[in-house]
Amino acid sequence: MIQKQFKKGRVILSLLFFVLIIVSFADIKGNIPAGYFKTVLYLQFIPSLLKLITPGTIISLGAIFVIILTFAGGRVYCSTICPLGVMQDIIIFVKRKISSKKRLKFKKALNLIRYPILVLGIVSLFFGGILFFNWLDPYANFGRIGAHIIQPVILGVNNLIAKILPSVGLMPLEARPFHFASFAFAAGVFLLVGIMSFFSGRLYCNTVCPVGTLLGLLSKVSLFKIRIDASSCTKCGKCQAACKANCINIKTLEVDETRCVSCFNCIPVCEDSSIKYKLSSKLKTQPAIAADNTDSKRRFLMVSAVGYLTAKSVSVFGAEEKNHVCFWRRGTVAPPGSLSIEHLKDRCVSCHLCISVCPTKVLQPSWLEYGVTGMLMPKMDFMHNFCNYECTKCGEVCPTGAIIHLPPEEKKLTQIGKVQFVQDDCIVETEGTSCGSCSEHCPTQAVKMVPYKNGLTIPETDTSICIGCGACEYACPVKDPHKAIFVASSLVHARAEKPKSEKIEYEETEEFPF
Amino acid sequence: MKRRDFLRKSVGVTVASGTIMSLGGVTKAFAGTGKSNSSAYDMVAVKGGKPGEMFEKAIAELGGMSAFVKTGQTVVVKPNIGWDSPPERAANTNPELVGKIVEHCIAAGAKKVYVFDNTCDEWTRCYKNSGIESAVKTAGGVVVTGKDESMYREVQIPKGKILKSAKVHELILDSDVFINVPVLKNHGGATMSLTMKNLMGVVWDRGFWHQNDLHQCIADFATLRKPDLNIIDGFNVMKRNGPRGVSVDDVVNMKYQILSADMVASDTAAVKVFGIDVASVNHIGIAEQLGVGTTKLDELNIKRISI
Repeated sequence: MIQKQFKKGRVILSLLFFVLIIVSFADIKGNIPAGYFKTVLYLQFIPSLLKLITPGTIISLGAIFVIILTFAGGRVYCSTICPLGVMQDIIIFVKRKISSKKRLKFKKALNLIRYPILVLGIVSLFFGGILFFNWLDPYANFGRIGAHIIQPVILGVNNLIAKILPSVGLMPLEARPFHFASFAFAAGVFLLVGIMSFFSGRLYCNTVCPVGTLLGLLSKVSLFKIRIDASSCTKCGKCQAACKANCINIKTLEVDETRCVSCFNCIPVCEDSSIKYKLSSKLKTQPAIAADNTDSKRRFLMVSAVGYLTAKSVSVFGAEEKNHVCFWRRGTVAPPGSLSIEHLKDRCVSCHLCISVCPTKVLQPSWLEYGVTGMLMPKMDFMHNFCNYECTKCGEVCPTGAIIHLPPEEKKLTQIGKVQFVQDDCIVETEGTSCGSCSEHCPTQAVKMVPYKNGLTIPETDTSICIGCGACEYACPVKDPHKAIFVASSLVHARAEKPKSEKIEYEETEEFPF
Repeated sequence: MKRRDFLRKSVGVTVASGTIMSLGGVTKAFAGTGKSNSSAYDMVAVKGGKPGEMFEKAIAELGGMSAFVKTGQTVVVKPNIGWDSPPERAANTNPELVGKIVEHCIAAGAKKVYVFDNTCDEWTRCYKNSGIESAVKTAGGVVVTGKDESMYREVQIPKGKILKSAKVHELILDSDVFINVPVLKNHGGATMSLTMKNLMGVVWDRGFWHQNDLHQCIADFATLRKPDLNIIDGFNVMKRNGPRGVSVDDVVNMKYQILSADMVASDTAAVKVFGIDVASVNHIGIAEQLGVGTTKLDELNIKRISI
């Protein structure tokens, strides 16, 4: 019977998704084309939901597709599309290979934990931005594991091969500076989820994960569900023993569809073909009652989440004109495409994909620079490097719309901060020697060398054409904290003027000038 | 310009008086050339044509690449690949020229031809978007990163006034032949970016140079290992906003190329092509005093080719 093959299909599909997502974090050389990332991450639920309500981005229907998918077949998302879910399945698979205790048991749902977490998550949207999802979104958590554990391992292997086997032709690549908080968070989640799955299957997904809980609610009314046929069932318990969600109760012959992740592990183990994925009988006999209860609850949750985020986005865009303020002495600079620090904080789930693909590694995780609600979100670190003028990579990969993909010509005019020059600290002033390092690196010549005394030249700045890329700050040879030139953050990003230029007249001469 | 006229006239007199061979011998010692080559010329300058053909005409006058590269030798070619910028913006050395040089080195029997730069922008993007990586690979050369600190070794610079030591890329220290291929351009800090300024891309810590008298450091470093051959790419020339440039409007298609073993002489000639006073580029004068080379082009035997 064909249903026995469902598990195989699910495993293949889930591994495919998993590998595709890992590849996006493994791209240490930046060879993967721009379209890849957003295609692969299109169905990630929270990012896609956030993007759906971000104006100015291509309409993202991934989250709607996931909702429809859940209405049709239960939590297929959790066992197939979610990378953190697949990671747990791999751990569970390994555990079952090495452990003698192979039989899993039915456990009660921990409703007193999972529903408050979901409600808290949605309520927190009204008060503290998306911090809660930032911490609990399974994709974001997997992203941080990818950026802070998987990518460094791949980079390490690359550099090791480059050193010991030069004939392979690999180049050693520079590692991103170690960020303790991000690593600790990623490693902590990896350990927590790993231990939970090792000992209790999909416990994390069914108690902590807000996406799992939300999709679980939707699954109550899904068309297809796992059901046991009482007439043919011999109560052998093999299905229960195979269920990593611990949601099959062999005594009552019930399957808790809010926790079932539609992994289909139970179908092939049933010798009597009694357990099947079939059209919900409940739906057929009494659809009105079943739908009513959960539907209203679900509708409330969904409508309030979407309503909140839409309201937020409108307020951000409304503020763009009047709220143009600079921090003195730097402030934290948000990446180009993030529109404003507020927009970034409203949309970013801190998956760190932008950070892991940034070719110059100027983009790094923050700690508390954006405040508690912006913890771990990406910031520009001009001490480490500067933003490549031609590069639009972070916007190309961002799955949530926190960093909007700007076309290169647009990015080159996006002002994320403004240059500030402190002549008293400049080498030309203090040492009386030439330097020009800042101007040398400036892509728009917002920092220009102009004649100074004794035949020297000194920087002169024009903030109207400055885009805040940080090249001047990075290149300034004066040691911090007294960099003679730096970028002061713009809370709301603005548009710089295009640098003026005219063609140079040149007449070719017949003779050599020497 | 009177000075230029004077030089031009005196060169004319030199050629006319037929003292080419004797002067050539004198200036070779003066320039401190490491290699002996069979050519009579201290410098070859080309005007007109395309970068590849300009180079082929010029190198032939110097006795071909085999005058510099012997069978089985390793060669390092150091172009300017500092910026993530396309060839037409002329922030980097012309890729066609770099490819042609690599091709000639291999034809001359080089065992390996390496190309690298310690870039300012992110290096993989610079290598790719400058067109240099693909040109080098097509010609049979190898591109190497300039961003791996473990490939740099600390060396002493005995003749240096301020820059007494530097961490230098191992390819510069270990390769048999060193070919320096800067692009001729304006430079906000160093006035001009030429052969000696291009050597900033073979050291690890550039910040020190900027902190401690840039011109002196550029000249100090030029006393260390003199390139066996310098090839200045003046095909597209960034006339302002250098070294990075803002747009193609900064670039003029001047179609020059200058080949010489003498960095000071090469830079002097290039500054004249650019059209400013040589004295305004401080490091050229300082380097001459340190014995790196000569600014007296009228004492050199120069072959001028117009295409």
